[in-house]
Amino acid sequence: MWQSIISYIPNWIIFTQALVILIVPIIIYLTSKWLQSALGSRTSEGTPTANESEENIFENAKTKAEDTMPFTGNYETDLASIKKRIAKNCDVHFREFTMATGEMVAIIYVEGLYDKELIEVQVMKSLMFDDVEEMEKSSKDSKITKSYLTNKMLPISEIREALNLEEVVSDILVGSTAMLIDGIVEVLLLGSATGKTRSIEEPLSEGLLRGPRIGFTEILCDNTAILRRHGKNESLELIKFQVGTRAKKDLVVAYMNDIVNSELLEEVKRRIESINMDYLPESGYVEQLIEDDSLSPFQQAQNTERPDRVINSLLEGRVAILLDGSPFALIVPVTFSMLLQSPEDYYERWIPGTLLRMLRFLATFFALLAPALYIAFISYHPGLIPTKLVMSIIDARQGVPFPSLIEALIMETSIEILREAGVRLPKPIGPAMGIVGGLIIGDAAVNAGLVSPFLVIVVAVTAISSFAIPTYSAGITLRLLRFLAMFCAAILGAYGTVLFFLLLCSHLVKLKSFGVPYVSPMAPYRLDDWKDFIFRLPFKVMKRRPLIMKTKDSDRKK
Amino acid sequence: MFTRTDDKITTTQTVVIISCFMLGSGVLTLPRTLTERVKTVDGWISLILGGLIIMLAGICIVKLCQKFPGKTMFQFLKEIVGSWIGSCMCLLMVMYFVCLSAFEIRVMAEVTMLYLLEGTPMWAIVMSFMWIGLYLITGGINSIARLFEIILPITIVVLLICLLLSSRLFDIDNLRPVLGEGIFPVIRGLKSTLLVFIGFEIMIILPAFMQYPKKGVKALIIGTSIPLVLYLITFIMVVGAMTVDGVVRSTWPTLDLIRSFEITGLLFERFEFFLLVIWIMQIFSTYTICFYAASLGLAQLSKKNIRPIMYGLLPFIFIVALLPKNMNELFDFGDFIGTVTIYLFGLFPVLLLLITTIFRIGAVKEDE
Repeated sequence: MWQSIISYIPNWIIFTQALVILIVPIIIYLTSKWLQSALGSRTSEGTPTANESEENIFENAKTKAEDTMPFTGNYETDLASIKKRIAKNCDVHFREFTMATGEMVAIIYVEGLYDKELIEVQVMKSLMFDDVEEMEKSSKDSKITKSYLTNKMLPISEIREALNLEEVVSDILVGSTAMLIDGIVEVLLLGSATGKTRSIEEPLSEGLLRGPRIGFTEILCDNTAILRRHGKNESLELIKFQVGTRAKKDLVVAYMNDIVNSELLEEVKRRIESINMDYLPESGYVEQLIEDDSLSPFQQAQNTERPDRVINSLLEGRVAILLDGSPFALIVPVTFSMLLQSPEDYYERWIPGTLLRMLRFLATFFALLAPALYIAFISYHPGLIPTKLVMSIIDARQGVPFPSLIEALIMETSIEILREAGVRLPKPIGPAMGIVGGLIIGDAAVNAGLVSPFLVIVVAVTAISSFAIPTYSAGITLRLLRFLAMFCAAILGAYGTVLFFLLLCSHLVKLKSFGVPYVSPMAPYRLDDWKDFIFRLPFKVMKRRPLIMKTKDSDRKK
Repeated sequence: MFTRTDDKITTTQTVVIISCFMLGSGVLTLPRTLTERVKTVDGWISLILGGLIIMLAGICIVKLCQKFPGKTMFQFLKEIVGSWIGSCMCLLMVMYFVCLSAFEIRVMAEVTMLYLLEGTPMWAIVMSFMWIGLYLITGGINSIARLFEIILPITIVVLLICLLLSSRLFDIDNLRPVLGEGIFPVIRGLKSTLLVFIGFEIMIILPAFMQYPKKGVKALIIGTSIPLVLYLITFIMVVGAMTVDGVVRSTWPTLDLIRSFEITGLLFERFEFFLLVIWIMQIFSTYTICFYAASLGLAQLSKKNIRPIMYGLLPFIFIVALLPKNMNELFDFGDFIGTVTIYLFGLFPVLLLLITTIFRIGAVKEDE
């Protein structure tokens, strides 16, 4: 009895392994926790921005006080104070003239940004020449007033008033024209920036065969206008935020007020308000600053250049975020299946649409696992593939001096380099490089006996598959994970590949984008949403908005 | 609520969890263990009977849990039988779950070493597997449920396709005569059928997490029916193709059946790889839910945070998994676990249900 119990007590090796099995995850956990805290997890609590450090406040205190002091109404002193602040900029111009009634007027503008025609024709002309008799009649004894100016003399739609230096200076520098008039306390700000802009073009990053050929531009008001133009719809609401602590930028949150879930909207607003960054050059910054999990390889907001995609998402109850200066709008929350959907699925009839969808799921599978499966089968389980195929593969691999992992890594890495180089290359050279890289190097590598021709097929199919995914950034994620899958397969064969799949699934089911499970509608099952998942059923069947969005109005038909 | 902060699962998710838990190691061994006992072809009748009995036992547990809404058995056991006995029983259940998860891992490792990775050390197989499980369960019952929802459809589809492809070997004569030796062999087989339905005991914790605990019975019945049907098909196909003698002689009859034929003209000629893949996934699901149940039990017993307990349980499960010295001991271990299940989760809850009904413990809340 005693003997048999003793014989079951494991030896020290097993105890050491047991220790290892405990310590490794703890280390990983501590590292990830440290990383999380270093990156600053955003989801936990809304940390309102504590913008300036104390030194800054101290330094700026003096200028702050000046800035917020109201204007005196005295032409000379006000002009002097504005000049003192911004006259040293070479592109700020001061134009002084006398109005028909005799008051001194100064127009302050930034070269290249101000609306030249508006200022010359509507403002200066009307102030210098027009209606002099009438004006003299009405204001014979009293001085000219602000309301008279705005009501009778300035035929401009966009007029704002500024009371202190801070407001004036910041608006002048973004392109408004300031008008300072002797005897009036307020400074009038006329018009807005009309810098040189790009015209609306077809989006570069998301090509479509069928569908509207317009894409967003860098100008926020153009983008919001494009959204407005989608149809007569009072429920589209656009709220403006200012982001960036140093260089302030406009950011617009768009949603359908009678569809969107109000809690989702609040959450989006909260996260945007908690952005603490001195400058946001692109919406990619916003995406990374509001996402749930910064350690995940998956994106948690969809970026798109296509207005039709944004409108469709808004109608599904999602929220779009547009940043000035970026042609990429963000759509939140995002699910994995969304990344594999293209607007074209809806524009084509439902049968081709469905087929395209399935094709993309297949492409995802290839992009992720094809090289891993190749490695697993070649190195570990040649018995599982048909005998004839094995013979030809082994025949082709005869001269290859490397194990299949190295072989695949060589090819995969070079194709990644090719892809990266192709993005940077000027347009005329790009295709040429593709031919040189893809065809010549591939062929030469096979001839030189570095890799087997079979692997070249696998790598090529994988690369093309990863470009079949409509969202470019999702393709990057898959390519990155592919390398992980290859290593798993190289270490543990097919078993490693299964483990990789389980790990990936485990990560995906834990991931949430603004509270929506990332793998939805796959899990949790929402059969109603499956109509628009792997399949794209006819519109007559898709009567409801996605359940997962918990919209206020779930019915798509009225 | 848009963002869910509570860790609740839907009725469908409950069904999926139960099904995934049951579809564990049984698929590969069931035809042999059952036929060994029954010795005739009537195993499928025992299977149906066994499934029904399990449903009854499960219903008892659900009814019991419904008297204590929002609490797992680890929490309310003390209220019924007192602090001391309750704690002891909870500890026993935790140990049970630890043993079960260790058993599943070991079976997985044995099969993987036999068919996929010859010569790879067992610790390498086991460790990587356990770490991924740990990563999953730190996400809570909701993440577990979502993962199961992904792998259950894959499992069902692949299993059915594999079995369908083997239908050319199927011969209905191998399943005759029905009840050739009377009813006794069927009853003899009951015990080994109960073992493959291990998994219903997860209902001691699930009703506490359910969004609508009232639907617990329904979820249990559907959750048990899915594996029951799959097991039935598997058993009939395997015995129908391999005959009783063939089944008894092989260790993993289902795998051997799939290995025994090749289909030319398709991309793949052999399909045991796919069966192994889904089976590894199913073992993963059984292991993770057991692991989670054990950690939850300990956490609720000690009223501590669950995360350190999950980490702390890892080495124990690992050591237990490596205890059996060979296949035979492993199967004995499995039989032992099955026997414990019958007493711990078959008879004990019935006793508890009687106690609560007679002394009206916990039921008061329902009346109000």
